[in-house]
Amino acid sequence: MQETLQTLVGGLSLGAVYALVAMGFSLVYRTMGLVNFAHADIAMIGAYAASTFYLTSKLPFAVAMLVAIAVTAAIGLVIERVLRPLENKDFDLMLIGTIGFGIVLQAVAILIWGTTGRAVPSPLRSAPLDLFGVRVRTYDLLVMGVAALAVITLAWFLARTKRGAAMQAVAMDHEAATAVGINVGRSNALAFAIGAGLAALAGGLVGPMLYVDASLGGALGIKGFAAAMLGGFGSIPGAVVGGLAIGVLDSYAAGHFQGYSVLVTFLVFTVAIMIRPTGVFGERTVSRA
Amino acid sequence: MTSALATALAACSAPGDSGDNDKATTGPIKVAVVNAQSGQLSSLGDWEYKGAKLAVAEWNKKGGIDGRKIELKLFDDQGDPTTGTNIARKLASEKYVAMLGTAESAVTVAMGPVLQQEKIPNITSGQSNALVALKSPFLFLNGPTSTTYDTTLAQYLVTAKGHKKIAMITNNGSFGKGEHDAFLKAAKDLGVTPSTDQVVTTDQKDFSAALTTIRAKKPDVIFIGSEEVEAGLIVKQARDLGITAPFAGAAPQGTPVFIDTAGKAAVEGTIVSSPYLSNDTSDASKAFAAAYKAAYGKEAELHGAKAYDGANILLTALKTSKGATGQKLADAIRATAYQGLLGTFQYGEDGVGITKTTIGVIRDGKLVPQN
Repeated sequence: MQETLQTLVGGLSLGAVYALVAMGFSLVYRTMGLVNFAHADIAMIGAYAASTFYLTSKLPFAVAMLVAIAVTAAIGLVIERVLRPLENKDFDLMLIGTIGFGIVLQAVAILIWGTTGRAVPSPLRSAPLDLFGVRVRTYDLLVMGVAALAVITLAWFLARTKRGAAMQAVAMDHEAATAVGINVGRSNALAFAIGAGLAALAGGLVGPMLYVDASLGGALGIKGFAAAMLGGFGSIPGAVVGGLAIGVLDSYAAGHFQGYSVLVTFLVFTVAIMIRPTGVFGERTVSRA
Repeated sequence: MTSALATALAACSAPGDSGDNDKATTGPIKVAVVNAQSGQLSSLGDWEYKGAKLAVAEWNKKGGIDGRKIELKLFDDQGDPTTGTNIARKLASEKYVAMLGTAESAVTVAMGPVLQQEKIPNITSGQSNALVALKSPFLFLNGPTSTTYDTTLAQYLVTAKGHKKIAMITNNGSFGKGEHDAFLKAAKDLGVTPSTDQVVTTDQKDFSAALTTIRAKKPDVIFIGSEEVEAGLIVKQARDLGITAPFAGAAPQGTPVFIDTAGKAAVEGTIVSSPYLSNDTSDASKAFAAAYKAAYGKEAELHGAKAYDGANILLTALKTSKGATGQKLADAIRATAYQGLLGTFQYGEDGVGITKTTIGVIRDGKLVPQN
């Protein structure tokens, strides 16, 4: 019992990070119908930026995170700007473009920060909480709290603000949206910027849990992508459910199947996707291509 | 004078020019370093390259080999066996006389058959027993095998310390698998069966399940067999879960990356089996550490020392064989007895040159000899 609960706690904290990554994927997909394959590497840049401002520039962790988010949001804007001429013209080229950006970002990270990564100490010094023998790290609670806050803010933004409503409209029918005077380009740029900011949030938060190096994107990307698929690509609640599900599934698979855990995780994932191809909250309304 | 002449000679031939026939006796001697320069194992690759480069720079400063400069070129295998195999073919077509590295046993194993076929001697930094199983007469190890590391460790834990309750956590990569098998056998030979044997994957990030099982067994000591970063994460999470037992392991557990990843407090008391415990053990290691610091501004450590030894063995063999290549060079390496930083190298048929490690302990974030 204790082992089961401990595994759950371990899975949930990483699951929260996967959910953030999945949300970024989903947001861009939702508005543009495009999978941004550079997303995971933006998260890696965010992790590096946050750790640099936190460790080297000695900013408080929260401030370092905000700066990192600003940096990656700017990168998101640049990517969108470069891809904009292709929008509604060559979808495949846009996809390849995002893959290319991912590779460029990795190369840039190695140029700036070198090949060896860095360990980021936890910003919270307090000892883990002990709940009936289950140990819960205070930092994990912080990660889950921040992730929850990000989800609520994003949902509120999309549902309750004018900009958010405009983005939803573009997602449904960009031609009609253009006709009623919504600037599609600006809406897409905003989606990219927010998506990239979410990536930095995920990367920055995961830094103290893992190890920051140029390959961090690979570790986060595949699980985040799977989370988005499982939840239903394009759906924000789906991203959250998918993220937590992948995190917990991964954690239990590790306990029961040890060395074969990755295999089991993705087998379960494949079966789930076969049963429900659109994911848990899937609604295939977005298809720009 | 000699070095000026060598420079002049080297200047005469364009790079890569000398590769037109196998028996080139003029121009630079081309030696390749193959190691991960990107990915999670890149810190290993970085240390290796620094060590090898230092040795080559010292030889070149002394005038090279018979007046010929040694030209060192780095290839990034990304820690990936497929990339490694492609590089092996490239080394053959570009007429490299020998290869140093890699630090990754899996990559070395993948490259082995190509290098054997092309008769290119390889001094690797891998330590998996799979390297010995390859039975390539062109493959040499610049350090002990996992069996040596873990037999020494098991003897210390069981015989010297009297530990009976030992837990194991290893990963299923080539290094972790090698460590798992070697330590399990060594412990069983001493009559101790580990109380739990947890296997994790190489890209796993959350170890709650394995560590909770280990915690329930209340072990005296936990054997850990995984590379630097993952081992660091395991130890960090273990301490957060309230596990207080010390960890014990081999080469990766003595590195700064392991210590930084886990945090200084978490690794206190970690028991490490290593052929190179500190930079202060001998005059040679002191001189090496000083030269390393001067060249790179960083503290020297095991992997740099291993690569330094490996490069020196190769260069010594090149000197005694007067710049031979292929089979003759491999024979010369096998015949080379070398007093290195890690100990006395004397190669056997299996390509293993050193069979001794010592036990160290991490105190205040530094690996120090056990007393």
